[in-house]
Amino acid sequence: MSFAPRPSVQPWARVNKSRRYQIFLASVLPLTVTALIMVFSGLDQNLALVGVFLPLQLVAASLVGHLAFGRRGVGDSLLIVLVVFLSTFVLVLLVSVLVSLASQGAKAFSWTFLSQNNIYVSNTTSLDYGGVGHAMIGTLMIVGLTTVVTVPLGLAMAVYLTQSTSRTKGLVRTLTQAISGLPSVVAGLFIMSLALTLGWERSGLLGSMALLPLMLPTVARVAEEALRLVPVDLRYAALALGAPNYRAFFQVVLPAAKSGLVTAILLGVARIIGETAPLLLTVPINNGTSLNIFSGNMMTLPAYIYGYLASVFETSQNRAWGGALVLMILVGLLFGATRLLSRPKSLKSKPIKQKASK
Amino acid sequence: MSESSVTKPAPVRRKLSAGPLSTGDKLFFGTASIAANFAFVLVATILIFLLIQALPALSSQGLPFIFGTEWNNAKDPIVMQIGPMIWGSLLIGALGVVFATPLAVSLAYLIVFMLPDRSSKAAASLVDLLAALPSVILGLWGLLVFTPVAAQWSSILNSNLGWIPLFQVSTVDNGFLGSPFIAGWIVAIMIVPIITSITREVFSQLDRDLINGALALGGSRLSTFRRVIFPTSSGAVVGGVLLGLGRALGETVAIFYVLQLSFDFNWGQILEPKGGAVASMILSKFGEASQAEVSGLIAAGLVLFILTLCINFVASVIVNRAQPWRKD
Repeated sequence: MSFAPRPSVQPWARVNKSRRYQIFLASVLPLTVTALIMVFSGLDQNLALVGVFLPLQLVAASLVGHLAFGRRGVGDSLLIVLVVFLSTFVLVLLVSVLVSLASQGAKAFSWTFLSQNNIYVSNTTSLDYGGVGHAMIGTLMIVGLTTVVTVPLGLAMAVYLTQSTSRTKGLVRTLTQAISGLPSVVAGLFIMSLALTLGWERSGLLGSMALLPLMLPTVARVAEEALRLVPVDLRYAALALGAPNYRAFFQVVLPAAKSGLVTAILLGVARIIGETAPLLLTVPINNGTSLNIFSGNMMTLPAYIYGYLASVFETSQNRAWGGALVLMILVGLLFGATRLLSRPKSLKSKPIKQKASK
Repeated sequence: MSESSVTKPAPVRRKLSAGPLSTGDKLFFGTASIAANFAFVLVATILIFLLIQALPALSSQGLPFIFGTEWNNAKDPIVMQIGPMIWGSLLIGALGVVFATPLAVSLAYLIVFMLPDRSSKAAASLVDLLAALPSVILGLWGLLVFTPVAAQWSSILNSNLGWIPLFQVSTVDNGFLGSPFIAGWIVAIMIVPIITSITREVFSQLDRDLINGALALGGSRLSTFRRVIFPTSSGAVVGGVLLGLGRALGETVAIFYVLQLSFDFNWGQILEPKGGAVASMILSKFGEASQAEVSGLIAAGLVLFILTLCINFVASVIVNRAQPWRKD
């Protein structure tokens, strides 16, 4: 995808030996110098990274760039160094989150932790007792109910946005995008005021309802993209053969877009499975296992993490990390499934490639 | 010859209609449009029910609800004013955007223009994974892992650039914890993927010939970026930034534990442990709220909803305009 120098030829073929040394030196020297300065002057590592390493690396790269391509090489090098530096920073943050999740979460992670609930567990109870079993059941039930309601709705919206010829499509699309920015706490407050107005009790059902407006836009938007990737000629051909619109959709468009639509569902679930604020506002927490979503208290994974998060006790913090690891594994499974689904036909990347090669 | 064609009466305009004819089709499109109209119903219902419950608080507090600086449930007519919270949300959102935009744009540049095909896909997946991180996990990480690091950054900023009012603090005793600066970073991590995905899409749709032309004329990557890539894609980047801002304003749990809430305006000393966020305030007060306070909290939610709805609406319009290939 890069545009200069052309990657089609071997990138190193045009670089002679002395330039290779220069590039090697330019990539190694700044780091070494920074490390030496840090060791000998005890400079803070954050300060050293931004105050010493980055300027040195910029200068070194520009020098090599200048030797290779003259003035234009300087611009190339400056941009490359900055882009790589900033992107690496984001990568470091992401890796830090994942590594601390894995290392801290592993302390609590066990079969007991997965299967038991939180009854008789205090802040100092050893990690051999108690776990997130009840929270996993609660999360799966609440998220499951939301999914069952939201998916048909979102798919129908996507159908409206792609198959119909209505004029309000643009407005509906913009509105859907606007809903996707709905703060999760407002979704919780909305259901709470609904319950206050109508006199309903707080329960898992209300939590499910609060998650609906958060999941709907994701499902609708991704499903719309998936339906849009089906060549319109296929549908026209079906219509020209005399099929009514609904049969053209169910027998031609739907099978072609199947993996994309499943991706839409999975992304929607991934979007809401970690939502915390709406559940805290609408679902009363519970230390025991509850299978009744329509009334009574119910525990969810995010609420479990939230409850143990700010504790000063080490076992409690370990429980929070363990719960977070379980939640992240669930998100990771969903995420991995979407990657696997979008791979075989690579539906998602097709239009970009077509336009790019134009 | 031309005479005869003029005298011929114009053909009657045929009426072309392509509406659904069969019952099945009517049902099919009917269901779809009912679902689509659910979007309107949803927004309207949210507004109506929030209004019903917020009305007691709004009518008793009046305009000072939005601008005032006191929340006191001990006074007899209860005082609920969320001015510093709204300002704090905007401040943290602005900080988040300032931190996130350079990161997101460079990530998008790296993915689209620099990496070879396969690793570019991997990088894009990583960014999507970042977007999939639940906010409570980021909050946990932010409190236990990131906060000490960010406090270190704060102390470096304060000791080296302390003469700028932005980085001044009243006392260094509290160890630079609980500041809008830290909350801004947490929020930035959440909105980097949003800005990246929109910027990436615009970058990948740019006209390659234009870019190659700029390079052939002797431009460097830097000048090509400044003169060609950025001007043509800045509109979409602005839209993405606004979408990120909307997300940042609504962020609740991730910054709940890393931010010290204060009902006292903090106009811009970002290292001071004195900040505000409407969403976090709602969560913090919700536990032991009286009936009157619940109404006030719902009113705060209403304000937040209207604020984010406006920002998101503007952002969607900008993004849609900047991505003409999405129109059908």
